[in-house]
Amino acid sequence: MTLIRNAGLFAIGLTLSLSTGAVMADVVAVVSAKSPITTLSTSQVQDIFLGKTSRFPNGALALPIDQAEGSAVREEFYAKMAGRSAAQMKAYWSKIIFTGRGQPPQEAANSVEMKKRLIENPAAIGYIEKNLVDSSVRVVL
Amino acid sequence: MTRNVKPAHSAGALERRLHRLMAIILVAAMGNHSDALADDASSSADPHASMFLFSGFGTLGVVHSSEDRADFTANIFNPNGAGYTRSWSPSVDSLIGGQVIANFGPKLSAMVQAISEQNYDNTYTPHVEWANLKYQLTPEASIRIGRIVLASFLVSDTRNVGYANPWVRPPVEVYSLVPIDSSDGVDASYRLNWGQLVQTFAGTYGATSSKQPTGGNAEARRQWNISDTVEYGAATVRIAYQRADLTLDGLHTFFGAFRQFGLQGEALAARYDPYRKPLAFVGIGGMYNPGDWFLTGEWGTSQFHSVLGESTAWYLSTGYRWAQLTPYLTYGALKANSNTSDPGLTVSALPPYLAGPATGLNAGLNAILGSIAIQSTTSAGVRWDFKKNVDLKLQYDHSRLGAGSPGLLINLQPGFQPGGTLNLFSAAVDFVF
Repeated sequence: MTLIRNAGLFAIGLTLSLSTGAVMADVVAVVSAKSPITTLSTSQVQDIFLGKTSRFPNGALALPIDQAEGSAVREEFYAKMAGRSAAQMKAYWSKIIFTGRGQPPQEAANSVEMKKRLIENPAAIGYIEKNLVDSSVRVVL
Repeated sequence: MTRNVKPAHSAGALERRLHRLMAIILVAAMGNHSDALADDASSSADPHASMFLFSGFGTLGVVHSSEDRADFTANIFNPNGAGYTRSWSPSVDSLIGGQVIANFGPKLSAMVQAISEQNYDNTYTPHVEWANLKYQLTPEASIRIGRIVLASFLVSDTRNVGYANPWVRPPVEVYSLVPIDSSDGVDASYRLNWGQLVQTFAGTYGATSSKQPTGGNAEARRQWNISDTVEYGAATVRIAYQRADLTLDGLHTFFGAFRQFGLQGEALAARYDPYRKPLAFVGIGGMYNPGDWFLTGEWGTSQFHSVLGESTAWYLSTGYRWAQLTPYLTYGALKANSNTSDPGLTVSALPPYLAGPATGLNAGLNAILGSIAIQSTTSAGVRWDFKKNVDLKLQYDHSRLGAGSPGLLINLQPGFQPGGTLNLFSAAVDFVF
């Protein structure tokens, strides 16, 4: 009986966890409003944030900035953009860090700091909740 | 490859030389600091980058083997493992490693990474796996001087970082093919971005010396490795070629005795003595990982013109991610392409007082040839990412040893039957910090 109830709860939990993606606030990739970059494809953003390229498609250097580890906006960004969980991203970067090939993006503490960092450096690219977009930044994806 | 090739890092002359070299480059790098800062201002590097970065990784694991007359080990450096030495062995997979990276500006950095794991002499004294100075010529090109871990296979250079990999350990059939894993020298990497396609060329040249659990040193000279990695979205394909002049001085002493037996002895020694003999390796690997499942496989062949001969191995592994759980299945196989026995010296043609020693040498030669590993393994396991930066893995392996072969087992005890089967059960907790 207990087993059946647990199985039922588990099924509900699974349904909830599968549906959370739909109820989360939208995340958008942004650059400074002063950046010449206007739009990027998912794979271009992915390559920049996974360290597979150091440049924007126009050849200018790109400086990716992450949100704080464990934040909902970061988890959603990587889930949407690369189909990867936080643990998978950590495993991915562990491969690069412990072979000395590179370092993960720097971190901004929250979306307010993220916007500050983007304004500071037109080469920077980050991501924030869609409803926090203002005239200081431009949505590129 | 046989388990006779078991190099392990030593605190030998080469290591001391490397430490001196590292000290010199670090001092030189400090002197260069002002130049590096000047570069800072003109590039996109920003003031938020840190000067020093500290990271670490580790695994706590236990392995149980159903074969209690021999030891299972996960890599060619361990002197003992699960089975005969310990029914439940913590030494096979457990280790801890730490890394310091010093950034002297946007282009110049130094990296030192040390690890404590079971060494060739059964101690856990930490040794330096990586120690190099890196100069980033452009965002796409870099050169390194110092010690690196060779990337013979897809995950060779992160095989100790359990958290980075889906299994408890990389499939042993393929990952035991090359008896050298380190290089003291130079290393260069160049990346090309062709739209969505990313191509990375890497090359390494150097030498290495390491102690073997069975005695003596493994010395690789004029060692080079080139690789080409192509990434396209979730797909990665990599091809690598490696070459070295390898000496296993423990076996060299043994084959010296053959040289006392005239032309036939000389010929046998010339063929089998692992003294400055070319070792060549080619490996092809692929990985497809769109996020919620993966398929990966590798094939490799190593040819060592000596008693260790030629071996070929491959594996295929697949897994599916279901929230925090990633169950996986792997099949791996290793076979010997060269002879596993030799008639040796013609004892009947020798004077009676030499017949005994010659018979002994023949037996020794055939023991080495016969211990060449032939085996296949089917594995099933699961990775559970139960906590931030920590995973738990459980893995079951069923291995079938080739006829007359001990497979990759070592420390064979009286009563051990080659050519059998064995089961392994492993549990491991991996972490990064």
